[in-house]
Amino acid sequence: MVRKIRTVVAIAALAFTFGLQPPAHAQDSNAKTLETGTFHGKVHSTSGRATIYQGKDGNLILRLTNFKTSNGPDVHVILIAATDADDDANFLKSNTERVELGKLKGNEGDQNYAIPSGTDLSKFQTVSIYCERFNANFGAAPLEKF
Amino acid sequence: MDSRIRSWFSRRKWLLVAVGLPLLIGAWWAFRPEKLWINQKVNEPAPFASSTDPQPLYTGRLEGKAHETSGRATIYKTADGKEYLRLTDFSTSNGPDVHVLLARSDDQSLKQEIVKRQLDSIELGPLKGNQGDQNYDLPASVDFQKYDAAVIYCERFHAVFGVARLEQF
Repeated sequence: MVRKIRTVVAIAALAFTFGLQPPAHAQDSNAKTLETGTFHGKVHSTSGRATIYQGKDGNLILRLTNFKTSNGPDVHVILIAATDADDDANFLKSNTERVELGKLKGNEGDQNYAIPSGTDLSKFQTVSIYCERFNANFGAAPLEKF
Repeated sequence: MDSRIRSWFSRRKWLLVAVGLPLLIGAWWAFRPEKLWINQKVNEPAPFASSTDPQPLYTGRLEGKAHETSGRATIYKTADGKEYLRLTDFSTSNGPDVHVLLARSDDQSLKQEIVKRQLDSIELGPLKGNQGDQNYDLPASVDFQKYDAAVIYCERFHAVFGVARLEQF
């Protein structure tokens, strides 16, 4: 009987110590800043910062801050494959690999875009503000490890 | 002659309208010229915002000068208003009397590997390690518009190991 109580107490103590750990971890795992870079203008003058964050559940978010570009028709935010070195091109080649993040929400100000899960960030290393209608690269931000 | 052109126009007026108007509308749709004057401002909050975490203010990549140096330098502000410089993915060569400074990125002395004159800088302390993540407290109210570069600097030989130009985060 005494042994049984001891085991129960030991198991309870273990459970308690392990039980305490998750909240302690959760405190510092808020969001990770993965990559960041600044915009340079191409077809239109574009400035600001692009940063990729990773949330607790692994979701990726691109955030633009101090952002400013020219307003235009059908402007999108895309990630392009860095190997194509297209971030310095005024017009993207049709075979440039890209990940669509959505329509540009505003030509000025801070804004967030969800990055599709499974996007290979080691491949898509540049953010481009891209006018789909004219295939024009308004500006690009090559990302580097934060 | 004049009246003949005028009569041609009056006869073809409908043609001009029928062709010109769609052309104009098409051109407007394609270029949306009014957007040159109309700005669309947004202001979304940061994702996973937490006001208790230190916020990054400025950041930049370290570039090697006298010695190969790499990594990132970032200035953070804590919730209670203290500022500090953090080096991450940091690697430089080990050396004697190496210090961390803030200096002016446009300082001509930083263009060379060896500083000849007095460097206009703010001392942050001796380098804690030549590799790894590390923090340095900043004195209160540093003017980051002026001191916009983090410098790894060997005091003994006045050698600039590496410089990071800090840009607004």
